[in-house]
Amino acid sequence: MSRNRVTVVISQAQGKNPVRRGLEESLAAALLMEPGVELSIVPHLYDLEPGHTGRLFLESVAGDMIVIGWFYPRAGFWLLDRMGVKGREGSSPMHPVAEDDGESDEGDEKPEKMSPIGATGTIPDRQITLLDLRAKPGHEAYVEEVRRIIGEARARQEAARASRPAALVELGLPKPAPVPDPSALAAPPAARRWYPVIDYSRCTNCMQCLDFCLFGVYGVDGGERILVESQDNCKKGCPACSRVCPEQAIMFPEYKTPAIAGAPVGAVSGLKIDLSKLFGGGDPMATAARERDRELEKDGRQAVGPTVGMAPRRATRATTPPDELDGLVDALDKLDI
Amino acid sequence: MGDDKVFEIGKHRAVLPGGLLYAPANHLWCAPAGHAGAWRFGFTSYALALMKDIYFLDWSLSAGMRVAQLGQIGHIETSKAESDLYSPMDGVVERFNDRALADPAIVNADGYGDGWLYEIAGDAEPARFVGAAAYLEHLHANWENTQRMIKGGMNRIVDEPSGDEEA
Repeated sequence: MSRNRVTVVISQAQGKNPVRRGLEESLAAALLMEPGVELSIVPHLYDLEPGHTGRLFLESVAGDMIVIGWFYPRAGFWLLDRMGVKGREGSSPMHPVAEDDGESDEGDEKPEKMSPIGATGTIPDRQITLLDLRAKPGHEAYVEEVRRIIGEARARQEAARASRPAALVELGLPKPAPVPDPSALAAPPAARRWYPVIDYSRCTNCMQCLDFCLFGVYGVDGGERILVESQDNCKKGCPACSRVCPEQAIMFPEYKTPAIAGAPVGAVSGLKIDLSKLFGGGDPMATAARERDRELEKDGRQAVGPTVGMAPRRATRATTPPDELDGLVDALDKLDI
Repeated sequence: MGDDKVFEIGKHRAVLPGGLLYAPANHLWCAPAGHAGAWRFGFTSYALALMKDIYFLDWSLSAGMRVAQLGQIGHIETSKAESDLYSPMDGVVERFNDRALADPAIVNADGYGDGWLYEIAGDAEPARFVGAAAYLEHLHANWENTQRMIKGGMNRIVDEPSGDEEA
């Protein structure tokens, strides 16, 4: 029983909000008593610089992992990917995602849709499930969900065991990670950080972010794939490149607006109308240009407005299935203005 | 004050009470909130008709904080839409309606009453607030653009819904 434990990591909130700390502590206390759980606590994933004990620990975990923190699961998953902590993303009923992101009916509606890059490198055969601590008020729901995920993992392992010769079973089991000193793992990182996180399951390598950002945050790797090259060049609080990205693949996990912080794209923006403009917001492209100008001016540079590095926006994409706008648009259509 | 006005969206009749003022750029109604310079705001029935049932309200400020006109004040998710929300005026947010935050259904049920959103204290009455008749005119003038926005669905649209964008 004890051999086959699942690593559960609580990623702490930034700052010292007592409510958030309280939930982390009560959840940690409950999970410590939970059979089959190997619990660790690290600072917020976003702030873990290379070499931080917490990050080294995450890198050392070989088997299934559940990471619970104050971020959208999509943001957490791609933050881990960025650290080289890879796996298949586990889903949780706590965070329902939109149905398949439009892959079902190919052809007609989406001419020349570029395909996403996807995760690169070797993806180990293990599952990483992320849970957002903002989803439920008390720790109980999370303990419940951890139990469910562990149960599922066990069932999967049993099935694998049954279908494999006995001699291989031991080799196939994930090696339990060494249990590190918990206080070292949670040592606060040097500083809060601010940088974009790319969701490669959406990014099509169109390079608009590279053209737009005038601070040298983006670059390309040896395979000409876009990456966040110089994250410390990024301007704290500025989410402008995220607004420019035509695929909503750029996330700032700590930004207030859910669509930028990594809320599930299909569930919110894909199926719902964004009325921000109606309620007083500007065009996202104009907003992005304004935000960029502000940062340029702070650096003593010349504002450039919307002319530099901004491709003309492609025609509005038909991403929304017509039946999602049912009654409202039907009513609008009837007016026939 | 003038008569109530009605804007028709298909079969839906969005009533605009004549006794209120309106911030057309934000689709909010406003009314004096007790002391000089303070205003109470809530969604107009037009805004609610477009958004449908409110699921979540989230304020990005706390009471007592300053907000600039058209500065972001929060976010909303409804059954049909999501949107950032922007302040209709410069001032200090005096309070948010806790009841609406705890149970946004009250906003749909009683948008002009108990479903108010927040109160802001600023200087005198901002010049942009207009009566029901002028707001109705604004809705008619922008209706075509609004339909395009809704049918376009996504947040990447090129046209401005109204001509009063800030410099």
